[in-house]
Amino acid sequence: MKGIRLAAVLLALVLAAGCAGGGGAAPEGAPGQENRLVLYTSHKEEVYWPIVKEFEERTGIWVEVVTGGTNELLERIRREADAPGADVMFGGGVESLEAYRDCFTPYACAQAEDLQPQFRDAQDLWTPFSALPVVLVYNTKLLRPGRLTGWADLLAPELRGRVAFADPAVSGSSFTALVTLLQALGEEDGGGDTLRRFAAHLDGRQLEGSGEVLSAVASGAALAGVTLEETALKRIAAGDDVAMVYPAEGTSCVPDASALIQNAAHGDNARRFLDFTVSPEVQRLLTEQLCRRSVREPGGAAETLTPLADIPLVDYDVAGASGRREALLMSWAFYLSGEEAPS
Amino acid sequence: MKRHSFQTRLFWGFLVASLVPLLLCSAMLLQIFRLRMTNEARRGMEERLETAAQALDAAFDAFAQTAARLQGNPIIAGALAGGGVEDTLVYNELFSATAQARSWASFDLYDLQGLWRYSTRQIPQAERLPTDWGALFAAAGPGEPPVFTACEDVTDAASPLLQGAVLLADGRGRPAGYLLVSLYDSHFRQLLAGTHGAQSDLLLLSRYWRPVYCEQPSLAEELAPRLRSRLLAGQSLEGDSEAFLYAQAHHAASGLWLVLQQPQVFTRATRRLLYTVSLGCAVICVAISILMSWKLSRQMFRPIQRLHRVIGEVERDNLDVSVPAERDDELGQLARRFNGMVSALKQNREALIDNQRELNEAQIRMLQAQLNPHFLCNTLDTMKWISKINKVPQVALMSTDLADILRFCISPDEFVSLRREAAILRRYIEIQRIRMSGAFSFELELPRDLEDCLVPKMILQPIVENAILHGLDGVEDGVVAVTARETAGMLEITVTDNGRGLPPDMASGRYRRPGGEERKHLGLYNVDTILTKHYGGDCGLYLAAGPGGRGAAVTALLPARREEEQAC
Repeated sequence: MKGIRLAAVLLALVLAAGCAGGGGAAPEGAPGQENRLVLYTSHKEEVYWPIVKEFEERTGIWVEVVTGGTNELLERIRREADAPGADVMFGGGVESLEAYRDCFTPYACAQAEDLQPQFRDAQDLWTPFSALPVVLVYNTKLLRPGRLTGWADLLAPELRGRVAFADPAVSGSSFTALVTLLQALGEEDGGGDTLRRFAAHLDGRQLEGSGEVLSAVASGAALAGVTLEETALKRIAAGDDVAMVYPAEGTSCVPDASALIQNAAHGDNARRFLDFTVSPEVQRLLTEQLCRRSVREPGGAAETLTPLADIPLVDYDVAGASGRREALLMSWAFYLSGEEAPS
Repeated sequence: MKRHSFQTRLFWGFLVASLVPLLLCSAMLLQIFRLRMTNEARRGMEERLETAAQALDAAFDAFAQTAARLQGNPIIAGALAGGGVEDTLVYNELFSATAQARSWASFDLYDLQGLWRYSTRQIPQAERLPTDWGALFAAAGPGEPPVFTACEDVTDAASPLLQGAVLLADGRGRPAGYLLVSLYDSHFRQLLAGTHGAQSDLLLLSRYWRPVYCEQPSLAEELAPRLRSRLLAGQSLEGDSEAFLYAQAHHAASGLWLVLQQPQVFTRATRRLLYTVSLGCAVICVAISILMSWKLSRQMFRPIQRLHRVIGEVERDNLDVSVPAERDDELGQLARRFNGMVSALKQNREALIDNQRELNEAQIRMLQAQLNPHFLCNTLDTMKWISKINKVPQVALMSTDLADILRFCISPDEFVSLRREAAILRRYIEIQRIRMSGAFSFELELPRDLEDCLVPKMILQPIVENAILHGLDGVEDGVVAVTARETAGMLEITVTDNGRGLPPDMASGRYRRPGGEERKHLGLYNVDTILTKHYGGDCGLYLAAGPGGRGAAVTALLPARREEEQAC
């Protein structure tokens, strides 16, 4: 018996020796903590990659990028509040960031005075990145130009069931669009009537994500749709049969933003990154190559878009919209399925 | 605890003694083999990295020289400043300055606004480059070697993978434009061809470990982020996978990192092969252990089993057995000693049987002598009365004596007191006196304290008869004397006569039984046998010459036991 035990011990030793010894030491070339930055971003690669690359080249800071959906990343930030995994949340509509205010630290970026005041947070909890007006799009082959000029036209009987609209519970931009629509068309009895009319107008059909709106309009499955300026411009530039209008009744221009995460491990580098995102170079890159609208004061010849001043705007209340989100979404869900809203 | 058989214990012993060194040896070999092969591979990889780095050195030195030659060139500076210089002149300057380096990169000249002006390629990469972004923004100052930055898409062979820019100044040190060095996929291919083996993949990474170039761009796109995250996590580049080895080197002139990926030399398959061989050896060890323990235990077991069987025979009382003891080892010795023990046992038993038979024969003879004695007693009684009636007193006396002797003889007691024995002896003497007409005298000297001593019955009569019939044969005034004494717990009863002395065939000393089937001195023989059988070899009859050299003295020696002792 003793012999067997001894043999077993020896065998275990031998096997352990056989397995050990693999794996080398950590490789050289890794940067110190003072030269690192971790980003959570919901931007597409075409947006964040040139900016991250240029930031690295200019500052010598190594950037680690973790991508994901806005809400998924914000949830993660809240979960990691005790030991943050990232330094900056890069991207996400300000309405979404508003809901997670307690996860961020205020920072007034350099050149803050050069930003348009309507895009800045009162407490500088977030730093705006780009302005994204809500626009209407239509298929140029199926709808006469001038036929669609504003929100009211969208509710015309011939468009019933042919409007592409993404689920506002999934898409942040779609929710913004819904609130904008309510505000633009007037909110008798708290908007309930307009909301019911629009829901009925969709015939119970809404799209799974904001990306599908343009595809539906371009393919002719829908005659018109509601989306963001950036998305529409990109499709138009790609040569699709789509045209864009700013609604005559007024639209909203809610920015997306970046925010400094509370107790970030690389806070200084995070601040440098936030400064960089609103720098003239990056903001020009947005307008010139990414079809986005700068949040800086307009100026220079680079402006190719309709100036913001020429676009009718409604008075959009970010904090208010964020506050009534749950109630609005619930009513929307009821109206869409053809039922009365819960009292 | 269960006791294992000898064979099992042998088996485990063999197994441990063979398997443990084997496994230790295998593991050590495995380890040494692995370390050696890995080190060998690493050395090879470092050499190849060195070769690649040298190739890069040559190219980037040439780029720096080109930049230095164009720096302060009045024709170039003038042309970039828009001074209306003829294009051919500018191109002459550009091509002569880039002659050394043109096969490794393409060179473009941009003016200070970032507008493209001249190129060694047919088509410029971009008509206009931003001066506040990317390569031109990062351009090195006049007189410095170009600063290189990685471009975005590794898989795009049509756009440059690496760009370096340097600000060109005119003769007076004022900036005039930019020199842009662009390295395309084809350039890298040419530069690095043959610097690394076919087995391995060379990966060029930027300062921040972003992919720059790889022979297989898709590999770079997939591998580089993984390597980067391992680097940032402080792990080894190998990670958990055992499939590849990595070696890296930094190329200072370009700021690039060279990473060489090579399949593990000591792969899982190799390891599995070695494990299989070890396992095979282990199986052989087990088989040999089984065989050896079986053989050895059989060799030891066969003699032990034979011994076992023979002992069983002995237990069943068969002593005519022996163990074959053909071997000279310890087991052979054991067998021989066992055989000796059995033969000693056998002799002992034969002696015992002989003894028993003699005793039985004496008893049978006594029984024969007792045949129908009652009839004789009654007859003698009748004779006594008839002789009394007929007034023949001698016959009456003889009949009475004979009847008493006879009765004494057939009594069931085996031992009698010396007193009774002596009384019967007197009866016998009376008969003999009548028979021999009083030709001898008889003396009996019996100390009173010995009268209670117990003796086997009828032991004195044969001795006395022997003395009368043989000793006093033809002797005048014969005397037979019986004396008894006790010496050291032994009773000595001596019958002395003054007759003819011991016959020639009887020596003095311990009585020796006559050999063969001879029946001489049957009386003495019987008495001696009775005494010996009852009391052991030292008791019995002793012969000596009589007092004064005449006659003989026969002494019966036996333990002095009293009646009461017997009763106890």
